Amino acid sequence: KQLGRVHRYRTKRLNDCSQSDKQAEMFTNGFLKNSLPGMSKKEIGDFMLRKAVVLKYAKKKKEKKKRAKGLNAKQRREMKVFQLKPEHQKYDLFLPLHELWKQYIRDLCNGLKPESNPQSIQQRLLKADFHGAILTVARSKCPSYVGTTGILVQEMKHVFKIITKEDKLKVIPKRNSVFAVEIDGFVSHIYGSKFELRSSERSAKKFKVKGTIDL
Amino acid sequence: MYPELDKCPRSLLVCEKSNFEHEKSRHDTHVSKHYFNHKVSVVIPECGALPSRLASVINNFSKYFLVMNLPVYEFLDKDFLKNVVWNGALYALSYRTSIDQDNTIALLPNSQLILSVDKDTYEQLGLEGKPSQYNHRQPMRYVVTIDLTDKSMAPGGKRYQRVLSSLKERVPLKSDFLLGRHNSGTDGDRALQSLLSRYQWKEHRPVVSSHTLKDLPCPSLHALDLRGDQRSCDPHSFLEWLGAVSAGVSCDNTAASFLSTYVCPEPQTLVSQALHCTVSGLLLPEDIYSLLQELRRYFDEPKFTSWLSLTVHGFMDSPVSWGDAEHGFHKGGENFYNLVLFKNQDYWLHMGTGSHDRCPP
Repeated sequence: KQLGRVHRYRTKRLNDCSQSDKQAEMFTNGFLKNSLPGMSKKEIGDFMLRKAVVLKYAKKKKEKKKRAKGLNAKQRREMKVFQLKPEHQKYDLFLPLHELWKQYIRDLCNGLKPESNPQSIQQRLLKADFHGAILTVARSKCPSYVGTTGILVQEMKHVFKIITKEDKLKVIPKRNSVFAVEIDGFVSHIYGSKFELRSSERSAKKFKVKGTIDL
Repeated sequence: MYPELDKCPRSLLVCEKSNFEHEKSRHDTHVSKHYFNHKVSVVIPECGALPSRLASVINNFSKYFLVMNLPVYEFLDKDFLKNVVWNGALYALSYRTSIDQDNTIALLPNSQLILSVDKDTYEQLGLEGKPSQYNHRQPMRYVVTIDLTDKSMAPGGKRYQRVLSSLKERVPLKSDFLLGRHNSGTDGDRALQSLLSRYQWKEHRPVVSSHTLKDLPCPSLHALDLRGDQRSCDPHSFLEWLGAVSAGVSCDNTAASFLSTYVCPEPQTLVSQALHCTVSGLLLPEDIYSLLQELRRYFDEPKFTSWLSLTVHGFMDSPVSWGDAEHGFHKGGENFYNLVLFKNQDYWLHMGTGSHDRCPP
């Protein structure tokens, strides 16, 4: 009963306060209008918005020149860049390449005279490129490779691609075979197992001296 | 004491007994399949001199040729193939080449050319072959078999050209050869003569030697007892005794300064005389077969002895032993067979091989 009397008392007071609330509101509005700077309502709204300051160190990115990355192996295989088309597989077409290669080797070894030191020639041949040379398989663990002769068309990491006189493109793995290269009477034997490098990498590789090598 | 003497390389001895007149007797296949025979020795107890019929058969053995420095590609010559090789009955074996060290070449009468080459030669030659069955861990020897009667080897074909170029240009294999041919037809002779005329050659006849042994203790053998359980001796001791007789080792077991434990196996009898005859050279299976037929007829007349023996030794360095079975040399290269003939046309056949051999047939 007492609780009810407090409740009625409070609501009576609130009703009285509502009257004074309205007056307070009017007073506040007027006060604010006088004290605020003369800006439009929108500007005031923007001003009131909190703008968070981003504390990250934003470096201006240098515009790198986009390097031609080259195709990766999958794309290369799809585009078949390294495959010779059948109409290009003619032995005669590669004979000029062979002549070029001979000239290149002659220049590399300062003219192949009969009295040149085989050792120095060998050192230079190790770093030379063999595209266009006439290769013959002299020895091999697999007998069917022995005797194939042709002009080297492509040198990959593990195989030689050779085109024979019968216009056949043969793929011969380097491992377990000995290849004979002949130039101006100098015959070199290349042990394929030790040559399993890309031709570009071979120029930088140091070869160890070994007495005899067994296949 | 010596570790290498503890482990002897194994040797195989296959013994069988049968009768010559039995329809399933395979004595003729065994004799004809053993292609390269070096020595034949006959031991006849109770016999003083070589019977005349035997002597005539032995003197009719075919002559053979020794050709120096014959290159192997000559065997692929078209005329030679047609007239000599394809008619059969040409036996060729490289002379003085060790089967475990050098390249050995043999031509069999069924027109198969067998090249038993070492690893380097095989890698340079470029012909397909199989690694030898007697390699230890790494393949050191390879055997290339070329069938000259095969369709692909017809002269002019691709395979023929490849084989010819391999043998002519890549690895020109050359060797001294022993050539033997059973006398038949004149075409073959002509082609053979034309081949021989281009190289240095010499003709040989098999060398015969015979002597009579006096007072020889001799084992008594009974036809039905092959294993030597009761009435005969066992095959190993019998063969040992035979070898001692051939080598001239006395089996007296006398107490002399030289100690030898070779004895004549029990049961034994003392014979007053025995004949020991050897023929050596390149002997053809056909000749040996005719000798065998003659020896069978020895018992047509009654004789004192109940048995006689015929031993045929093969070449130590031959690449094949019986048929196509590969033969190698480990600590000995023996491949031989021994026939003991009895009165009632029964026979015993002992075939022995060394360690690098397949089991005889």
